[in-house]
Amino acid sequence: MQRRNIYINYTSLLVALLLFMVGCKKQDYALPTPKDVLQNDVIKRTQGPNIVTQTIEFAYAMAILPSKGKLVSAEVEASIAGAPGTFLENRSFFTKPNGADSGVVVAQPSVTSGTKTTVTFNRDTSAATLRYFYVVPEGARGKTVSFTFSAKSSNGETVSYKMGPYTVAKMDIVRNLVLSDSTGMIYISIQDLAIYNSATAATKADRIDLIYLYRNITTSAFNHALVSPAADTVYLPGITLPAGVNRSTKEIKVFSLQDYNLAQLQYGIYIDDVDFQQLNFTSAPNYAINLKAEAGVWVETADGKYRAYIYINSVVNRATNKSAVIGIKRYAL
Amino acid sequence: MKKYFSIGWTLLLAACICLSCKKDYPVDEDGLLITTRAECYVSSFELLGSDFVNVRVGAAVIDTTAQTIKVTVQFGTDLKNLYPQFTLASDCKLDPKVTGKTDFSDLAHPKVYTVVSGNREIRKPYTIYITVQPR
Repeated sequence: MQRRNIYINYTSLLVALLLFMVGCKKQDYALPTPKDVLQNDVIKRTQGPNIVTQTIEFAYAMAILPSKGKLVSAEVEASIAGAPGTFLENRSFFTKPNGADSGVVVAQPSVTSGTKTTVTFNRDTSAATLRYFYVVPEGARGKTVSFTFSAKSSNGETVSYKMGPYTVAKMDIVRNLVLSDSTGMIYISIQDLAIYNSATAATKADRIDLIYLYRNITTSAFNHALVSPAADTVYLPGITLPAGVNRSTKEIKVFSLQDYNLAQLQYGIYIDDVDFQQLNFTSAPNYAINLKAEAGVWVETADGKYRAYIYINSVVNRATNKSAVIGIKRYAL
Repeated sequence: MKKYFSIGWTLLLAACICLSCKKDYPVDEDGLLITTRAECYVSSFELLGSDFVNVRVGAAVIDTTAQTIKVTVQFGTDLKNLYPQFTLASDCKLDPKVTGKTDFSDLAHPKVYTVVSGNREIRKPYTIYITVQPR
């Protein structure tokens, strides 16, 4: 009985100790003390794949206590020099109550020299958020690119923030190509990422991969079509091919794949390099008819060099204007 | 001490009773429940293209007596890459299973899908006849 009492005592002691350790404490709130040194932070504003010729946007925020000094300069160094058009905003943005961004000029326009882009502040500023627009250069294709953001203050402090590395996609993009069955601009070259009329297509016969046509046939739903030159002539009614235009391009119809880069709508779907790598065209046909706006086709060229996604932004079905606006993402195999 | 043993045995017994085997419901080789239902038919049929958009023109004609499904598809349909969709009577299953894109391009040899009843005792093969709409 005595031993049992000892056990009970030990157990009670342990439970009490446990309760003591995990017991609630009242914590008094204290106003946070701001750091009194120069600080910075960066966010990447663009999402999706980083594509050559397209822009990657960052927002670079920096601040120092007004009593300590003011901002003198800000700089971004990219591991690969940006293409022309790369710049650091000289306006600091804030958001108005209505949600709109508003910029206040706080510095001289940025100067880009090689991999570095710099702005020098010309107004007394202790806090600013500058946006950095990096135009992805051809030299970065398939590589990774990193960025070092840095700022200097009048009291001699410097601060920096590293971003990346970000992989730059191998693919290309082209937008707003206007195909017109009325004007004859119907020949699509995936290799050139361009559209041609019949006369030009005849001179580039080995590069023509698809033909656009619109037919309003009452007995079937033909409508807008992207047909490869080698397809059965039943899918090319009224088309006389220029000499030598005879490639057979494989196609897979898609609907509701509104790539953000191509559609430029609110949808957050991005086609990246890996999507092209995983396609299987083994049993794909060489035509796609009855296409609508916001539809698309995956494409593989006859020589197997390129895969592409063609997105149809809009179509016009009028008798006098049979046309479609398309965008293309292309991946070289 | 004996008292503790007896409590232990009682608890063990209670646990065994709680966890004892129940009568299993029969399942087939796919792990699907075998029921008592003998109904065996296709109630609706759809054909989707590679873009998951319906390619049929008009409703599919299902003859449960002749066990045929006749469907007309749009001109230009890629018959090699179609997704068939069957709606079956309760508890039925399909043989072969539809696992993805199916090649219906051999119109001379129409595809046959067998509906198996819920009790797995009745099998009815349905032949799918596809006609392509002329241009």
